Amino acid sequence: MAVNLKRSSGEDSDGGKTSRRKMLGWLTGAGLFGSAGLSAVSNFVFIKPRATYGQPQRFSVGKPEDYPSGTRAILASRGICIIREGSKLAAISTTCTHLGCTVGAADTGFACPCHGSRFDQDGNVTGGPAPRPLPWFQITLAPNGEIEVDKDIEIAPGSYLTL
Amino acid sequence: MRLALAIGTFFILVIHGVVFYNQFFHQWERNQHAYFDQARVLAKTDVERSTLASRKPRIEQIVVSNFGETRVDRCTTCHIASDDPRFATYAEPLKAHPYSTTLGDAQKNGKWERRHKFSEFGCTVCHDGQGRGLDPEYSHGKDEYWPEPLLGYTTQENWRKDFAPKLKGKEYMQANCAQCHTEIAFPGTPLVTKGRELFFSSNCYGCHRIEGLSDGTIGPDLSDVGKKWKLDYLWGRIADPKSILATSIMPKFNLKEEDIKALVVFLKSRKGRNFAETEIQRFKVKLTGGAELVQATIKPVHINPAEMVKQGEKLVLDRACTACHKLGDRDGGIAPDLSFEGLLKDGPWIYDHFKNPKSTMPDSIMPAFRFTDDEFKAMTAYLLTLKGTSPAGNGEAIYKALCLRCHGEKGDGRGPIAEHLDPYPRDLTKAGFMNSKPEARLVASIRNGVAGTSMPAWGKLLSEEQAKAVLSHIQTTFTKEARRELKVRPIPEKNPVAMSKESVARGEGIFVERCAGCHGKKGDGKGPNSLDILPKPRNLRNTFFVDSVDDRRLFESIQYGVQGTAMPPWIDYGLTNNDVGDLVNFIRSINQKQQKGGQHAAPVQ
Repeated sequence: MAVNLKRSSGEDSDGGKTSRRKMLGWLTGAGLFGSAGLSAVSNFVFIKPRATYGQPQRFSVGKPEDYPSGTRAILASRGICIIREGSKLAAISTTCTHLGCTVGAADTGFACPCHGSRFDQDGNVTGGPAPRPLPWFQITLAPNGEIEVDKDIEIAPGSYLTL
Repeated sequence: MRLALAIGTFFILVIHGVVFYNQFFHQWERNQHAYFDQARVLAKTDVERSTLASRKPRIEQIVVSNFGETRVDRCTTCHIASDDPRFATYAEPLKAHPYSTTLGDAQKNGKWERRHKFSEFGCTVCHDGQGRGLDPEYSHGKDEYWPEPLLGYTTQENWRKDFAPKLKGKEYMQANCAQCHTEIAFPGTPLVTKGRELFFSSNCYGCHRIEGLSDGTIGPDLSDVGKKWKLDYLWGRIADPKSILATSIMPKFNLKEEDIKALVVFLKSRKGRNFAETEIQRFKVKLTGGAELVQATIKPVHINPAEMVKQGEKLVLDRACTACHKLGDRDGGIAPDLSFEGLLKDGPWIYDHFKNPKSTMPDSIMPAFRFTDDEFKAMTAYLLTLKGTSPAGNGEAIYKALCLRCHGEKGDGRGPIAEHLDPYPRDLTKAGFMNSKPEARLVASIRNGVAGTSMPAWGKLLSEEQAKAVLSHIQTTFTKEARRELKVRPIPEKNPVAMSKESVARGEGIFVERCAGCHGKKGDGKGPNSLDILPKPRNLRNTFFVDSVDDRRLFESIQYGVQGTAMPPWIDYGLTNNDVGDLVNFIRSINQKQQKGGQHAAPVQ
């Protein structure tokens, strides 16, 4: 350190000395504020958990052959209903949009046992307190030939997977 | 100062940056991007492409609760193509899990279908490893503190270098198959089946307990050994027991490498309760001692009377008797030499010793093995044919051939197998003992043996002269002191006190007061002081020994002590002849019949 001071004081102009100080000041500042900035960003990223506990949102529901045409199969543990019409497949949520009860199958579509909400075959509300229609989930054919449903991705009602 | 500060903060920034990078830009994300890119190339239809476009990297997890504790397997986060048959030939981690008929996968209409769907079984049920981990090193269990590294794939840093390469291979996973597939001889787990057979044929079951299979008590319980220990430890304990625990008394079995592997896989599969078992099934196995399993594993040999000796020989050699005993060139280094058994013992003794070793040798550590009576008879018949060869030469040669294994090279009673014998072999260097006994008695000990101990009767092998030659070798080489004339002491030939309830009660009183400190309250030689004493105090409940000793000798030992041991001359401490008589009656009484239960030495009622 002493050597540095001597060298800087040995310089001709005052300007060299101050600019060197400034430079170091800048570097220190950049380091400190950079670290602080990174910490702040990290905090924001951590707000949303990356992995949740419980069953995964994307899962396989078996082969298309398991669902012959005309099937409306409610998979209670997964909270979805698999619908097949001809070569078209869809997955509709069975969680009521009112207070989250599990809806059951009814002649006209779905009916919620809790507060009497009623939905038609495509999940549109036909009665009761439910505010929104039942969402449709993305349904794809995985490379191993099984149907995969992704509950993280909602798709427009009426969009089917065509085999 | 400013420069140091600037450098310091810059350094902190760099570290911070690295941590940030590691925390938010993961290997698994790059793997998933690579997968999406490849899948896009392989995609054939627009639908596939649009599906892929909507997929973003995220942590994939399979939650499995059917197999013990709930497992959260995030393996597919990196191994994202594991169920995508198009990736069969790619390199890890983007490699599809192979299909295999041995796993139960079947081909239907030209397409493979898995028997164990990953969504139902997860990954760690078969593979082990740390399911929640997202970093290859931790999730594969390379960290030495993770109890379950990927079975057969990952070896840990601290594993023994010479064992580690042998512990790799898919076949080790059979241990996990056996968690559900508990059937005997399940075709998918040949190593478990072989290991179970070896567990019985190598007589492991004699010492070790496995719930539902065996109930040995000498070695540690192995019921959940697979849960407790890693492959490296299991291999080490079998291949080289002393390397892991210097004081281990487990013999080093003469096993081939494949056999060790099978045993390791079998032991790794012992994890206590199996996934497939219900409580009722488990209870049933417990009640029957796993009789079904055992019967299916140990196949009794049908003994043909004409070939009894031959079949007995095969049993003795195949079932690892020489893992402990010595027989010809084979030497287990734990138990006595059987080469002269036909001369040393008779048929009923050997047969009884097989059936219940403690019935003929009260302190024997030999386990009672599971053989049929016919098999025991055949083995007895074989042992009776073993007459050895009469050792020629002088006393020294005979000592080396017959005595050294127990009494030791230096004659100090610390031969190679001495620590496994109870009582210990006599320390022949103790002149105090050797020279206080008449020569005739020492010769008799050699020729007639010492009942109830491991000292056999060499009389049929050694003549009077040979026994004397051995004794003189011992006297000159080990004892070193010359014999002196023995003092003549007043010792009653017969117990002057008549056997009676009162005498026994008085004897017990004296025993508890004077003798129990070393010989123990029960008279079993395990008193509190016995730990520091060598030779150990005599077990006075060893009926064979006590019955072989006459009253005169008991009187002599008690009144005048036993020189060269911790037994003091009680005449100096005020015991009269009548007191000793009561003591002798008490000692005789506790050997009159087998006493069952009871903490204290109780005289006969």
